[in-house]
Amino acid sequence: MSSFLQEIPEGKIDFVAQDNVDFFAKLGLAMVTFTGFVFGIIFQDLRVSFGILGGGTVILALLLLPPWPMHNSHPVKWLPVKKEKES
Amino acid sequence: MHSILSRINNTSAFFSSCMMALLAAISITSYMFFPNEATGDISISSLKVVASNARRYPNKKQDLAFVNFNITADLSPIFHWNTKQVFVYLQAEYTNSQGTNNEVVIWDRIIRRKEDAFVKFVGKNKYMFRDVSSSFKNAKPANYSLKFNVMPYVGVLTYGEAARTTEEVEFPAAKSRI
Repeated sequence: MSSFLQEIPEGKIDFVAQDNVDFFAKLGLAMVTFTGFVFGIIFQDLRVSFGILGGGTVILALLLLPPWPMHNSHPVKWLPVKKEKES
Repeated sequence: MHSILSRINNTSAFFSSCMMALLAAISITSYMFFPNEATGDISISSLKVVASNARRYPNKKQDLAFVNFNITADLSPIFHWNTKQVFVYLQAEYTNSQGTNNEVVIWDRIIRRKEDAFVKFVGKNKYMFRDVSSSFKNAKPANYSLKFNVMPYVGVLTYGEAARTTEEVEFPAAKSRI
């Protein structure tokens, strides 16, 4: 019970998901920044730029930061336990 | 990236880099690609110099200049997405009797919206126009220029000149009353 309570704030995800989260966070933030800049120029409004950056960041954070089940779909496969030889 | 805290740390660090990049891109592009050009016209309709008593010194005389002028200027080209407000001011430029070059702001206005960017003003100087040497005697004729200072949301302050008097205006002799 206590280990279950500890894992909630810890939010562990598996190794594949760690790699993916890192990649998609960087890609997503860079794309959101770029689109914010372009749309800001098109609409000639700074609020559009920072709205896109802020909104995109919130969506990315909700998708990538919490330990959703999709971030735990590649559990580590351990080798089977060897049976000790009976001597 | 294994725990939620390390993910928050990594992502927010990269977010602040993105924010800096966006701010830098906005300030650089608005500095490079949006010209600070505005056109306008100033005419000085009258200039009077009155010798009055200086404040705090009862026996000292202090010359005050009273300038009446017309300003028309269209500052709407300098309003773009990164312009917060524009400070526009009328400046008198002259060399006084001691040979010092002076630039005195005698009128100003803050423009916050593009709708107010067409300036049409007829009136007199807003701020007291006096010389450090307390007299305009032997001062060289003055030029008047309408300058502006563009304050952006992000980036550097830039200055520009919208209009300038075509002929220099001479200071008349001081009178004792208007």
